[in-house]
Amino acid sequence: MALHGREWPRPFLIGMLVLFLPMIALAKEENFGVSEKGKSPLRVAIYPVENLSSSHAPLNDIRRILKEQLSGRGVEVLGEAALETFMARHRIRYAGGIDQATAMALRNELRVDALLLTTLELYDEVRPPKIALFARLITTDPSPSIVWAEGIGLSGDDAPGLLGLGLIEDPGALMKKALNFLIGSLTRALSAHTATERRERSSRARFAPTIAYKAPFVEADRTYKIAILPFLNRSNRKYAGEILALHFMRAFQRFDLFETVEPGMVRHQLLGLRVILEEGLSLAHADALFAALDADLLVHGRVMAYEDVQGGGGNPRVDFSTLLIERKSRKTVWASTSHNAGDDGVLLFDWGRLKCAHALASQMVQSIGEKIGGKGTSAKAIKIVRGLSKDSL
Amino acid sequence: MKGKKSFISYGRVFILFAFLSLAACATTRSDTYVDPNMDFGIIKTVAVMPLGNLTRDNLVSERVRDVLIHSLLATGAIYVLPPGEVAKAVVRAEIQNPAAPSSAEVVKFGEITKVQAVITGVVREYGEVRSGATFAPVVSIGLQMIETETGKTVWTASSTRGGVTVWHRLFGGGGEPMNVITEKAVNDLINKLFK
Repeated sequence: MALHGREWPRPFLIGMLVLFLPMIALAKEENFGVSEKGKSPLRVAIYPVENLSSSHAPLNDIRRILKEQLSGRGVEVLGEAALETFMARHRIRYAGGIDQATAMALRNELRVDALLLTTLELYDEVRPPKIALFARLITTDPSPSIVWAEGIGLSGDDAPGLLGLGLIEDPGALMKKALNFLIGSLTRALSAHTATERRERSSRARFAPTIAYKAPFVEADRTYKIAILPFLNRSNRKYAGEILALHFMRAFQRFDLFETVEPGMVRHQLLGLRVILEEGLSLAHADALFAALDADLLVHGRVMAYEDVQGGGGNPRVDFSTLLIERKSRKTVWASTSHNAGDDGVLLFDWGRLKCAHALASQMVQSIGEKIGGKGTSAKAIKIVRGLSKDSL
Repeated sequence: MKGKKSFISYGRVFILFAFLSLAACATTRSDTYVDPNMDFGIIKTVAVMPLGNLTRDNLVSERVRDVLIHSLLATGAIYVLPPGEVAKAVVRAEIQNPAAPSSAEVVKFGEITKVQAVITGVVREYGEVRSGATFAPVVSIGLQMIETETGKTVWTASSTRGGVTVWHRLFGGGGEPMNVITEKAVNDLINKLFK
């Protein structure tokens, strides 16, 4: 190659190539909603945010930001009026999940490819503010599947830094930070050009269950369809059972061993079969759910504590037990008891202290997932989403 | 002088003998009963009934029961029926008080669930105890195992863990967390079962 009669040195050219190639890849990744051959963009519906925080929260703002960010990345977001009409026509009041019939209706009536569901777990404006969110993307296939799931729990004083310069005191700024993380994660997962595996960070030993039993049930080269039932809530926190089920859904989604059943379908079957989980899951109910959901494993448990603290002092506390029942043997194949506080294992200067229950529970559940299913990767999600084009749907 | 020395040495021997004699009078106090005719090897599956609760906290028995179920499973020696299945069988067997079932009820329960034994029990104490300005958590649990074929109690044991110790009195501190104490008490009971 020559420029003004002068040849560029080969190492310089290679260096430039190495520098610019990732940038080109990133530029393509940003526009993940449009396929390469100029096909129509991915059409996504964003359901109203499910509020499990038991507090007043700017739900409309969360939804608006999500909509703006996704639209800015080339995704076609279904209009507000069309979604409202659809929800009114089908009498949809529950925004925390989707069943098969609704997924099909979304696809057939509104040509929606996927549905983005967001759940607000915690919203606290008291200084330092706190926020915890879950989000997941579900296909509108005849058998809806979760193609991406993520969660985040932030506190304004997570990283105060030198002289407290890193403190976030504005709840709005914290909310935007959390939403940027979620959108960033979704972008990475949906990008058809990033085939690199992103290995999840291993959970720390201090978050492992204190008592655990595992029966050897895993067969080689097999994927297990796993349904997560809402946990029995014996804590003072409202919706702690549903929140913990979402933690398990998010954590197990990352493991190649598991194919997680959409929680909306689980709820639909629980209502349909009139299963009331007062004392726990009986084997008769388990059989009925296995058949209805075509699942291999059922996760169930009990939450004894799920405590966040207001303000900067104190530590969050999470305490729960987990049972995993297998379809073939009709037996418990995993049982564990987990309890941790935010300052467990912290020795000096609050290093490693977790300040919201979401972050704590997330680590505890990931540890359980690793003990059952090995190390998790996000490669599975990427592979599935590759098929999420207009042609395949 | 010599006579005085031998008197002292005789005195020492006498005191030693007296102490040994007193020790011989001591009885071994055990809080464990094991049926000598029972073959515990045949017990492969058990059901842990809801525990009785003598404390003020309503959730204590559920918490201790969960720890007990998981600890028993974790031994790998015994399979424990899921709590939901136990609840269903309690209704089917028409057991009036699951924390203290009668022999006939246990036999009926065994026929329904096909378990070889049922574990019942009571949480006697769960919480903080105070002694002056010092406080520490304490847990006291009593368990019994009933064979489902005969409805006979084959094993009982109790365990108390935590409480205010000399260390707490001297150096203060609130003791270990409640969950840790509970696990210790349950492990102690399981050790007594497998001893």
